[in-house]
Amino acid sequence: MSALSAVSPRRRRTDQAARAALGAGAAIALVPLVLVIFYLMKKGLPAWSWHFFTSDPTGSFLGDAGGIRSAIVGTLVLVAVAAAMSIPAGVGVALYLVEYGKAKRFAGLIRYLVDVMTGVPSIVFGLFVYTVLVITSIGGGFAAWKGSLALALLMLPVVTRSAEVVLNLVPDSLREAALALGAPRWRVIFRVVLPSALPGLVTGSLLAVARAAGETAPLLFTAFAVFGLSVDPSQEINSLPVQIFNDARQPRDVIVTRAWGAALTLVLLILITTVVARLATRRSRIA
Amino acid sequence: MHMNRTNITALGVSGVVALGLAACGSSNNGTGSSSSASSGGGGAASSINGAGATFPQPVYQQWASDLKSQGLTVNYQGIGSGGGIAQFTSGTVDFGATDAAMKDEEVKAAEKKGTPVHIPSVFGAVTVSYNVPGAPKNLKLDGGTVANLFFGNIKTWNDPAITKLNPGSKLPSTKVTVCHRSDESGTSKLFTTFLSDYSAEWKSKIGADKTVKWPTGTGASGNSGVAACVKQNTGAVGYVEQAYALQNGFTTAQLKNKSGNYIKPTLAATAAAGVGLTVPADLRFDSINAPGAKAYPIASATFLLVYKDMCKAGLAKPKAQAVVKWLDYVVGPGQQVAPKLDYAPLPASLLAKDKAKIAGLTCDGSPLKAG
Amino acid sequence: MEAGALEEGRPSGPRGLALRGSALSGLPDRALRLGLLALAALVLALLVFFFIELANQSSLAFSRFGVFGFTFTNNWDVSRNIYGALPLVVGTLITAGVGVLIGVPIAVASALFATELCPRRLKTLLTLLIDLLAAVPSVVYGLWGIFVLIPFLKPVQQSLADTFSFLPFVGGHVAGPSYFVAGLILAIMILPVVAAISREVITTVPAEHKEAALALGATRWEMIRMAILPYSRAGISGAAMLGLGRAIGETIAVTLVVGNAPQLGKQIFDQGYSLAAVVANEFGEAASVPIHRSALIAAGLVLFVLTLIVNAGARLYVRSGAPEGVRR
Repeated sequence: MSALSAVSPRRRRTDQAARAALGAGAAIALVPLVLVIFYLMKKGLPAWSWHFFTSDPTGSFLGDAGGIRSAIVGTLVLVAVAAAMSIPAGVGVALYLVEYGKAKRFAGLIRYLVDVMTGVPSIVFGLFVYTVLVITSIGGGFAAWKGSLALALLMLPVVTRSAEVVLNLVPDSLREAALALGAPRWRVIFRVVLPSALPGLVTGSLLAVARAAGETAPLLFTAFAVFGLSVDPSQEINSLPVQIFNDARQPRDVIVTRAWGAALTLVLLILITTVVARLATRRSRIA
Repeated sequence: MHMNRTNITALGVSGVVALGLAACGSSNNGTGSSSSASSGGGGAASSINGAGATFPQPVYQQWASDLKSQGLTVNYQGIGSGGGIAQFTSGTVDFGATDAAMKDEEVKAAEKKGTPVHIPSVFGAVTVSYNVPGAPKNLKLDGGTVANLFFGNIKTWNDPAITKLNPGSKLPSTKVTVCHRSDESGTSKLFTTFLSDYSAEWKSKIGADKTVKWPTGTGASGNSGVAACVKQNTGAVGYVEQAYALQNGFTTAQLKNKSGNYIKPTLAATAAAGVGLTVPADLRFDSINAPGAKAYPIASATFLLVYKDMCKAGLAKPKAQAVVKWLDYVVGPGQQVAPKLDYAPLPASLLAKDKAKIAGLTCDGSPLKAG
Repeated sequence: MEAGALEEGRPSGPRGLALRGSALSGLPDRALRLGLLALAALVLALLVFFFIELANQSSLAFSRFGVFGFTFTNNWDVSRNIYGALPLVVGTLITAGVGVLIGVPIAVASALFATELCPRRLKTLLTLLIDLLAAVPSVVYGLWGIFVLIPFLKPVQQSLADTFSFLPFVGGHVAGPSYFVAGLILAIMILPVVAAISREVITTVPAEHKEAALALGATRWEMIRMAILPYSRAGISGAAMLGLGRAIGETIAVTLVVGNAPQLGKQIFDQGYSLAAVVANEFGEAASVPIHRSALIAAGLVLFVLTLIVNAGARLYVRSGAPEGVRR
């Protein structure tokens, strides 16, 4: 068969069938997204109202079920504290790996362990914090900061890995130039490396935040749940994922609707965070 | 934000220090869920946390919202009786709640922190609710038949075992779907105690406990989970506390009691189960299969759990005072509120015993007064 | 004095003009280096403590039932405090297996379509939409599963069970929640990850390979089959294994739709359980019962080891199959 002979009908048919199959596969991949978004909006939007966002769940068996205000505030508190714990630590570890550790054995060990951590199921982190901190009553029983700690453990490897990638992208020439001008090492890091890497660091951190905001399992028996509004990190706190998890298993229609409304709110929050994260990198690029 | 040295180091230090402080734990917090929420000046705290049975959750939540206007926030989470006992024993909640009185081993485990005190709060009824369009309301069922339903031996609703007890009723041929609890539940204990009383096979093969190896069916979490299961499945049968059946408009079965009468789960029938009880000194009892002629066979009391010496068990004094305030309400005005949700108030003799127990609660040795 | 060059300890690069002299000017550098080192060591210590604690707390269960006894006995009996995790392990593997069986082909098909067959403009949109699936949290998938997927699938599952009842593991009465539904939701959840990695792997196929195939007169599909798939097979296998690892560890979506029955189901449409789901459901009740708590932690450890093995395998595949350029 010369390279220029015509394609036999059989091969053409196979080609068309295969293309159709691949196209079908791609289309099928989109179906769940469409369905999830469709039902989220269909069932979640009716729950949205002023009352929904400004009142707390009442826990009442009959009558007014209340809204999700304490859940939204709770998620914001939990994630903020988790971010404060994990982002400095994660960026710090990445800085160590990129600037000082490099190919050393210790750094390799840390890299490997961080990689391993990304595969740990989130429930195991919750279990760990529960057995080490909650049952032993260190610092009280259930507390929001313990939930945040479990979330921070989840976020740490994500922040570290993305920060490491971004920091590695900062060209060595920048570092060398700064050093050549007489800057000490720490100044090079804080005035040259980190600022250039900042958009990427922000993106990685916000993506980790978006991931943590949606997690339920680590919070179940660390932050527990309350109905009322609270911002105290030393007390139990409500959160959107736990609220949805509990409401999803209730028989009352109005509560199930509230679960959908909360789900839509949570997905929207995560989407906004993700979009902001990606915009941060778009603003300035590293060559 | 300007990423200068100060900001970075501050953030980093704070993050690490946060972890460090957290790990060390502050000595003044102590154990238990004592917190900064307690008000100053020796008064009762403004909020307490409890967790446990979903059986009484409707009425506990009603009482909680009543107390809110009096300045006390009671945060109650329904995690099942097993969870209530476990969290009470670990000291992560200020009070626990369970429909199944603590077993001896559970009491022993709790004794590490102090003497657990059972405080019966109300009587409730476990209904056998079903979702079978076309079936008559208030089907007559007896213990053996219910056991067979939950064994999976009865596969359709027009099975002879059911039609025999309901002559003259037309039953559809819908397939039976069983709904039961997946978590450790006092409601399960009450229900399986009833089944064990009437089915030797159930007693020997499955037994009566907060959690058993259910031969068939879908597991759901909490009374509300089972209610959701019944609601969402045509042909479903499940056991839920009366309030949940009312909330969702379920049809409930009439059950044959010890005297041979078929009894509907009503407020009166629930109260009748509490008549003429002999109760041990530690108030651990159940009234399943009560002898009264009009008594509903699966009705029993549910308990609040507190430690006799709450402060030694880890509560700060203001919290302990707030818990006593809650308990006073439960055995006081709360008893009048309960019937609105079809929970029967405690008989006078039991109420008196409750009040005595509450009066005996102490904080580091000295008796507590309601704050 | 701190080295001025990028390599530690090698004063090869240019030094500042006025940096000699007081030891104090090296202090911030030393402090930073030690500080970051301490931080890394702290994280290391935390992780080591994490593993030690898990092993320590699970030792009670493992010593009472034996490691193999615990993992492979079919008897999870909470009331009698007998813990054999086989139904959980099998449930985890079945649901994750179904998820991978359904999800990976679709993900790879979409990746191939996006990189090779799709018009440029559509490609960004398509990849964006598939990546969007990753933004939906687990609990929302579970909620959707309970109220949309299960009611829709109940008749479908029942008719599949009836039509194919001659096959092993197919048949029986369908209650709604099942291994199958859980597997389906897991397939949806691993789609974005597997698709993203597959896309990356496929993009690294050198253009020369593809052009050579096309120059020989291959049709588009034949080019994919001859040039792309062999080259990216290892990377795609790695992606599939990462998806499997993700599916194994998924907790909340699974517990909401799998039925939570600690028994070994006989059919794919039966209710089941998984290691992660049992931990989530029972650890509130296990707080004060040491053997139960230890059994749950042991289950968590088994789960963790499973994901470790799968992810390690995945890393090997991805790294071996994809040369520089794919960093995972």
